[in-house]
Amino acid sequence: MPITPMEVYKLLPKTNCKKCGEQTCMAFAFKVINREKQIEECSPLFEEKKYANQKEKLLGLLEPLKEATETGLIVDEERCTGCANCIVVCPVHASEDPYGSGSGYGPKIEDPIYRLEDGVLKIINVKKCRRYGKNRILCVACRENCPSDAISFLEG
Amino acid sequence: MPLEFSKFLKKIGVQVVVGRWSFQVEAMDRGKFSDEFIERSAVIYLTEEFGKANGFKEGDVVRVSSGNKSVNLKIMFTDVAPENGAFMPNSIYTSYLSDFSNFKRFNATLEPTDDDVTKPEEIMQKVLSKI
Amino acid sequence: MHVCTGCSCLCDDIDLKIENGRISRAYNACRRGAGIFLNISSSRAKPTIDGQQVDLERALQKAQEIIQDSENLAIYGLDTTTLEAQRLAIELAEKKEAFIDDNSTFCLGDFVEMILKKEIPSTTLEEVKNNAYVLFYWGTDPYHSLSRHLSKFTYYPRGGKRQRGYEEDRFLVVIDIRKTHTAKLAKKNARFLKAENDADIIRGFIDALEGRSPKIFQKEIPRILKEMEKGGFNVIFGGLGLKYGLGGDYALLKEMIERMNERSEVYFMPAGCHPNMRGFNELLFEKTGHVNRYSFREKRSSDDFAFHRLLKNDSADTALIIGSDPLNSLPLEYAGKLSEINTIVIDPRETFTGRVAKVTIPSALSGVESGGTMIGADGSRVELNPVFEAEINDEYILKKLLEVV
Ligand code: SF4
Ligand code: SF4
Ligand code: SF4
Ligand code: SF4
Repeated sequence: MPITPMEVYKLLPKTNCKKCGEQTCMAFAFKVINREKQIEECSPLFEEKKYANQKEKLLGLLEPLKEATETGLIVDEERCTGCANCIVVCPVHASEDPYGSGSGYGPKIEDPIYRLEDGVLKIINVKKCRRYGKNRILCVACRENCPSDAISFLEG
Repeated sequence: MPLEFSKFLKKIGVQVVVGRWSFQVEAMDRGKFSDEFIERSAVIYLTEEFGKANGFKEGDVVRVSSGNKSVNLKIMFTDVAPENGAFMPNSIYTSYLSDFSNFKRFNATLEPTDDDVTKPEEIMQKVLSKI
Repeated sequence: MHVCTGCSCLCDDIDLKIENGRISRAYNACRRGAGIFLNISSSRAKPTIDGQQVDLERALQKAQEIIQDSENLAIYGLDTTTLEAQRLAIELAEKKEAFIDDNSTFCLGDFVEMILKKEIPSTTLEEVKNNAYVLFYWGTDPYHSLSRHLSKFTYYPRGGKRQRGYEEDRFLVVIDIRKTHTAKLAKKNARFLKAENDADIIRGFIDALEGRSPKIFQKEIPRILKEMEKGGFNVIFGGLGLKYGLGGDYALLKEMIERMNERSEVYFMPAGCHPNMRGFNELLFEKTGHVNRYSFREKRSSDDFAFHRLLKNDSADTALIIGSDPLNSLPLEYAGKLSEINTIVIDPRETFTGRVAKVTIPSALSGVESGGTMIGADGSRVELNPVFEAEINDEYILKKLLEVV
């Protein structure tokens, strides 16, 4: 289940105090979900006792974000047949590993995003994923081409 | 013994489509006499919609009969089953239920049962005792 | 790099990690393929006579005696073993004037036969990767049976003239009786046709080619044909669904492919899963002009010589089964009869048929423990690169059996 910014917002102090560096609590909530801000950057939430309850709930809510990779990518190996559609379709593999994954073979580079290990999809180097980092774009090519919905993104 | 509601559910007729299922093939390499083989082979797949409309839950055991042959299989839900029919991975279970004329698609009836899932050895016994 | 013999894709880019003489990791193989490498020690067959474990020597000797005494031997299976072993099995059949058959009789042998007889044009997967635009998957769900087919050879990889990726450079058509996992991939630039009746869809294509409006899929069929003209190079992968859907009558299919070829190149390829089925078909074809169901005594091929028919009609007194498990894969009414005749099973793993056989002889896993050559679904030869070399493999056992004839 993707976590929505609204759910995060509801548990923030909602004072728009800007201590986090954002104009509004809502803007902050968006960035937390996209991993551009850490929840700890909302100092009132952690310093003021009256928010203790909300803080606990928020940390619980955000727990899955930690488990998922930094792009919010989750692979359900149980559903994966190792078809490699996701690997070959990935535009990063196509440009950085044109004669390996980009052409349908096993990777010829050391640090592909994905590779098949023991018959299922393993995430090797998520940093290369286009959903990651500053200039990220909302790529969904791998997820869209997995017939058994084994790939999901936290942010939907 | 309390009356069981399932007993009052009626038999339904379905067309069973037979095909490959990667997870079941994997279990064959682990061993045809393994529990995993039974778990992944003694299964009949329905869409959730069709299953629920007919009063079945995932995990229910049903008696699947074709002609005068029947086996008990576990119901599983998947969105790739035929809409108003069923899917089975090919294995000794489908080989038992089908014949050459209807090898990849056969008609069967499903009805609830309280018995356990049929084991391959039980099928072998049934077949061999008839020969 | 090793070759996976999990299906007729024969993927040749499998990397393995070996630790203390054991395979501890498999890279690049799909679930099915990795399972073969990682489970080499599971459910291995043992030498038996009448269900009792014996020495290998005893089992071999017993098998030799049975073969020697047999009058109507039927040899069956063979699609998971190498060309080298298949050749020996054919030699044994010839010397014993035996019947020989493989899974292709109820699998895709008919399609391979049409290709070998040049009744329909076919091509290689390499050509498909480099050139093909419209890809039909008809009555087959490669996601489960040939897991890497779309990613390694057809829809997703970039190659040759097709460098822009699937959204622009390929057009996917999936035809099946149900919405399979493969069918789910038919999204943009793709079509899924739900086939209640395969012949009706073929007629629809023929109608449209002749300028009539098809009776079904009025919008889809003309669009697909237009895409085919645009692409110039197109391929139809036919599976078991198509074979059984047509009930053995391929006249319409051939007509459709012929008519399609008047407008653009269209090739047909079998999408079957046995790794070396095509190899057996080709070897037998070279020798006899037939791909399966052959009697060396009568020097002809016939439906009556299909393995299940031999069992049904009690035509064989002895069955030699190599790398196949009829009790799992053939209608049990017939397969069950193997318990009544002298059945010898040669297989690396335990099988249901082995349980009812007179003799079982454990063998090596082709591709993992023994080498040789196989022919993939598209007719290309692939040299296996085994990890281990087992002394007792199909070739060794068949040579032993040949010694007594
Ligand atoms: S620091 Fe917290 S309370 Fe202040 S604006 Fe940011 S999110 Fe809202
Ligand atoms: S989201 Fe896009 S870039 Fe990231 S792994 Fe998937 S296909 Fe590749
Ligand atoms: S597309 Fe899905 S099933 Fe195929 S390898 Fe990727 S995660 Fe696994
Ligand atoms: S697609 Fe076939 S040959 Fe390739 S890895 Fe999977 S089972 Fe092996």
